[in-house]
Amino acid sequence: MAHDRKFRFGVQVSSAADAAGWRERAHKIEDLGYSTLFMPDHFIDSPFAPMVGITDAAAATTTLRVGTLVLGNDYKHPAVVAKEAATLDVLSEGRLEFGLGAGWQRTDYDALGLRYDPPGVRVDRLTEAIAVVKGCFTDGPFTFVGEHYTVRDYDAQPKPLQRPHPPILIGGGAPRVLRMAGREADIVGINPNLSSGELDAAVVRSSVAEQTRQKVEWIRDGAGERFDDLELQIRYFFAAITDDARGLAEAVAPGFGLTAAEALESGVALVGSVDECCEILQRRREEWQVSYIVFGDDNFEAFAPVVAGLAGT
Amino acid sequence: MAHDRKFRFGVQCLRAASAKEFAEQARRAEDLGFSSILFPDHFVDHPLAPMPAMAAAAAVTTTLRVGTCVLGNDYKHPVVLATEAATVDVLSDGRLELGLGAGWMTVDYERAGLPLDPPGVRIARLAEAITVVKGLMADDPFTFHGKHYDIDELDGEPKPVQKPHPPLIVGGGRPKILGLAAREAQIIGINARLTAGTGEHESSTKSLNPASTDEKVQWVREAAGDRFDELELQSLVGFVMETDDVASTAEMMAGAFDTTPEEALDTPVVLVGTIDEMVERLQRRRARWALSYHVVPIEQMETFAPVVARLAGT
Repeated sequence: MAHDRKFRFGVQVSSAADAAGWRERAHKIEDLGYSTLFMPDHFIDSPFAPMVGITDAAAATTTLRVGTLVLGNDYKHPAVVAKEAATLDVLSEGRLEFGLGAGWQRTDYDALGLRYDPPGVRVDRLTEAIAVVKGCFTDGPFTFVGEHYTVRDYDAQPKPLQRPHPPILIGGGAPRVLRMAGREADIVGINPNLSSGELDAAVVRSSVAEQTRQKVEWIRDGAGERFDDLELQIRYFFAAITDDARGLAEAVAPGFGLTAAEALESGVALVGSVDECCEILQRRREEWQVSYIVFGDDNFEAFAPVVAGLAGT
Repeated sequence: MAHDRKFRFGVQCLRAASAKEFAEQARRAEDLGFSSILFPDHFVDHPLAPMPAMAAAAAVTTTLRVGTCVLGNDYKHPVVLATEAATVDVLSDGRLELGLGAGWMTVDYERAGLPLDPPGVRIARLAEAITVVKGLMADDPFTFHGKHYDIDELDGEPKPVQKPHPPLIVGGGRPKILGLAAREAQIIGINARLTAGTGEHESSTKSLNPASTDEKVQWVREAAGDRFDELELQSLVGFVMETDDVASTAEMMAGAFDTTPEEALDTPVVLVGTIDEMVERLQRRRARWALSYHVVPIEQMETFAPVVARLAGT
């Protein structure tokens, strides 16, 4: 069914000082009109484990959706991940958004002592993992024999509450993974291209407006007729409410090797007054079809007026 | 510090029909005076994943401890496991009991396409995983170069609330695994021998009788040395039946456990009789084997509640 492309908003958070602080923030995110609390999946500088953290956030709230943005596929076997996801979907009464990615941050692989395979291999493995996860979510036993995973005659339990399965979110910044996301996902995250394995100048450069447009085309290529059913998402890493967007961009952009104009139009930057930010998001929805907007812990409160103005429209 | 060996009780939970039922059951266990809710970790016939189940149970209760009985070490990398476990400990305000096992159920490995190594290899891997989990939960960056895991200068996050780490439950039914448990864990599960790869095998059932239990506790004692007094010994009581006619049940169980009817009634995984008899048997088991932590299926918590009321904390 064609997606309505109405705006909704999420917040990506990764820790709190204690249990009370974590729940208090989940409440705040819910109260401010955000749709979803997302957690990343890293082993360095990202303290809480996502599946546990979002289960707790779901238990502390009533309507807030919870999700992973995104799980690194290489850190856990997809049968384990699917079982955890389905359990969480049942225990949250159907509020899970299941985000899975190929894994990219080299320090995570170093932390686990895992081999850091070339991007192509990681994307192949992710593609197989998506098939395994969908097999687990579907009624009845299934068998999958791939190059990376072999699952035999397995009727995974529990089945998720959302049918046929919780929305599957796949993010990426390179052509292969975005085409695959177009074919397989319900929500597609348009990310920087992270093939260098760390956050460097190339990553920033890969998100300028022209590149973002290109990424949407890759998704469209992969999706074919499905494209209208997809929900497109951007996590804004550089977001600020300010009356002087130009001044801020001029001060910050050179540090990232961009001109001020490039920075302001970047697909990971949202800078301006509340009205300007609303206009930018509306314009980008027209151009890029992106309607699902994610902020971070540092700025979700500042963007509450934007959420109030646009959510559900 | 020596353990007080006071009785406490847990419920083992395998499934939940809905979020509402799950929350009600966890709260009910807490209200009835149970100390913990524990989740096993299997791919087949166990429709709850332990990590989210623990997080959800902790979120709807206030004092109930949450744990695993036990996680299969081979299903997750210990760095992932330690991170998740520590997160549960933080978000439950220090209520985690982390049960770790070597993995044993053949069907889990078959379904997920995981290689099932010989028991010695799985136990060696578990031993390394325990070192990794403890290392990551400690305060400083941790380095470990083992045969199975390779960790370099990793400062585990988050740190658990319980220091130096949440109590570890390690259980088994053979000398090697019980020896590891005795040296490394705080809670020792006196379990069936599971080398056949399924809990339904005859060798597994027979390994539960009192004579075998004597042997297992002796293995723990020998491996623990001076530590033995600090350990808490745990048994799963999978079958609870309140009745004033124990004779016929005892007769039936004697065959399965390969022992006399009287000894069958003292098999740690069953509890049959009136409430008074159950209380008395648990006291005898504590005197004989130091078993003080008993876990019953959550479906039997109401039947068992009068025993909890009489014994918990004594």
